[in-house]
Amino acid sequence: MSLLSVRGLQAGYGKVQVLFNGHIEVEPGELVGIVGPNGAGKSTFLGALAGSVRPSSGSIEFQGTSIRGRKPEDIVRLGLALVPEGRAIFTDLTVTENLRLGLTGRRDKSGSAKAIAEVTELFPVLASHRGHQAGLLSGGQQQQLAIARALVSEPKLLMLDEPSLGLSPTVIQDVFGVLNKIQELGTAIIVVEQRAHLIMSVASRTLVMREGHVRATLTREDARDETKLAAAYFGTGEDRE
Amino acid sequence: MIQTILDALSYGGLYGLAALGIGLVFGVMRLVNFAHGELIAIGAYLMIITIDLGLPLSIIIAVAGTAALALLMELSVFKRLRLAGPSVLLIASFGVSIFLQRSYEIIFGALPISGQIAPWMSGVIEFGDTTITRGSILTIILALALLAGMRFLVENTTLGLQIRAASSDFQTARLLGVRSNYVIGTAFVFSGVLAAAVAFVLVTQRGSVDPLFGVNITILALVGTVIGGLGSLQGAALGGFAVGATISLLNSFLGNYRVYSYTWLFILVIIVLLIRPSGLISNKAFKERA
Ligand SMILES: Nc1ncnc2c1ncn2[C@@H]1O[C@H](COP(=O)(O)OP(=O)(O)OP(=O)(O)O)[C@@H](O)[C@H]1O
Ligand SMILES: [Mg+2]
Repeated sequence: MSLLSVRGLQAGYGKVQVLFNGHIEVEPGELVGIVGPNGAGKSTFLGALAGSVRPSSGSIEFQGTSIRGRKPEDIVRLGLALVPEGRAIFTDLTVTENLRLGLTGRRDKSGSAKAIAEVTELFPVLASHRGHQAGLLSGGQQQQLAIARALVSEPKLLMLDEPSLGLSPTVIQDVFGVLNKIQELGTAIIVVEQRAHLIMSVASRTLVMREGHVRATLTREDARDETKLAAAYFGTGEDRE
Repeated sequence: MIQTILDALSYGGLYGLAALGIGLVFGVMRLVNFAHGELIAIGAYLMIITIDLGLPLSIIIAVAGTAALALLMELSVFKRLRLAGPSVLLIASFGVSIFLQRSYEIIFGALPISGQIAPWMSGVIEFGDTTITRGSILTIILALALLAGMRFLVENTTLGLQIRAASSDFQTARLLGVRSNYVIGTAFVFSGVLAAAVAFVLVTQRGSVDPLFGVNITILALVGTVIGGLGSLQGAALGGFAVGATISLLNSFLGNYRVYSYTWLFILVIIVLLIRPSGLISNKAFKERA
């Protein structure tokens, strides 16, 4: 049984439909990528899975039960966490307060202290900035905080919306390195990423989205095939990279 | 002179409480709740109606009743408008405000109802030559206690952390598991409790209540929340304090010309907003509700 199984998902904002056909399968512990041009509906897709955007039709099965139409605060408790685009940390609160907020989404409150200790082990920089205002952290540190905050709820599936946005190449390497560690700990991950090559080298499968549709699913082997990648990405044969 | 300062402090504290009640609800749901005035009014009505049961019981009934009405507003009206924009919420709160004013008129009558609430509040204490009113001292103590209590709650409890998070970015707070209905519901309950405290002080001063009892202070407290910086609880309390203290000082300095107090107040408000358009304490994390 898949961890997450989504079919024919449609969603939008008000009367404007943005997502026309979102589908994805994620196995436990798997890392799946999503790529696609700006405005393709990637963030809307993740939002619909996390409950912050209301789907109008389609099915979302997480661990065998339908979660479509449920509230975001309930979905995170079931083990499906989203780190939204642009980090969305609470800049006025301290690093510790941000992490404590992540505990809200835990089903089992007893392991709270341990969960915080574990993520600060994963992101040592957070431990040294514990009492600082989160807004004073660098971009890369803020991204790590956002990921750590989602992790303390101990999700079965962690969704990251463009974690590399605005980060320098070395910091991106760090963040992706941590993703590997998280995956090794048994958490499945979905990553939305503009840089197709970056994500395809670590993901077992990568979905290509365009104009609200999931148009193709590429394997790691496909990543080496430039024309196949470009064709899926732009819907033509041209190469813009 | 001492009395003037005490008056300013007590008015400031009172308006600070009113503004904090408005600011709490604004924080978590970006709703400017005009009906806060009707919460203050019901607190006063309940106190006057039940004062024969003794002051402590009367206060308990007023606090519980006001908090219950605040929660009822949320559950019956605002909860249904979660997806609506700020302008719809604003107009809805006008609607609730007017609906309640008319209801009070039908239930309690349009004329003021009087009652003696805690007459000892209007007594004076003498220090040699100077006399000061007991009411001003007690109001300052009450305001300080409530402001400190709210501060502790917001800064040091998990619920307070969730309120702060929800106030700066509601969507993200929900993604982390913060229960939206619970946080908004508690914000309304707290705003009701603060409204009851304001009602208590006002009704001991005025000795009567009418359907428009809370309108004036609510408008001025709203001005206070804007001056303090929308979206910051500290700012709301501080802005409310500034407005209340200023009104009180203007009233004493203008003497017979006190009818112009409000003119001067609003001139000052405009100047403050010209210098600091986002308020005295601007909340950097303040975000429009998506
Ligand atoms: N809150 C919103 N309200 C209205 N329209 C929105 C909203 N968010 C996104 N859209 C619209 O939905 C479409 C898809 O946006 P979405 O953010 O899902 O794309 P994306 O693939 O994540 O793009 P990007 O790579 O730029 O992050 C866009 O046309 C956008 O204008
Ligand atoms: Mg996006």
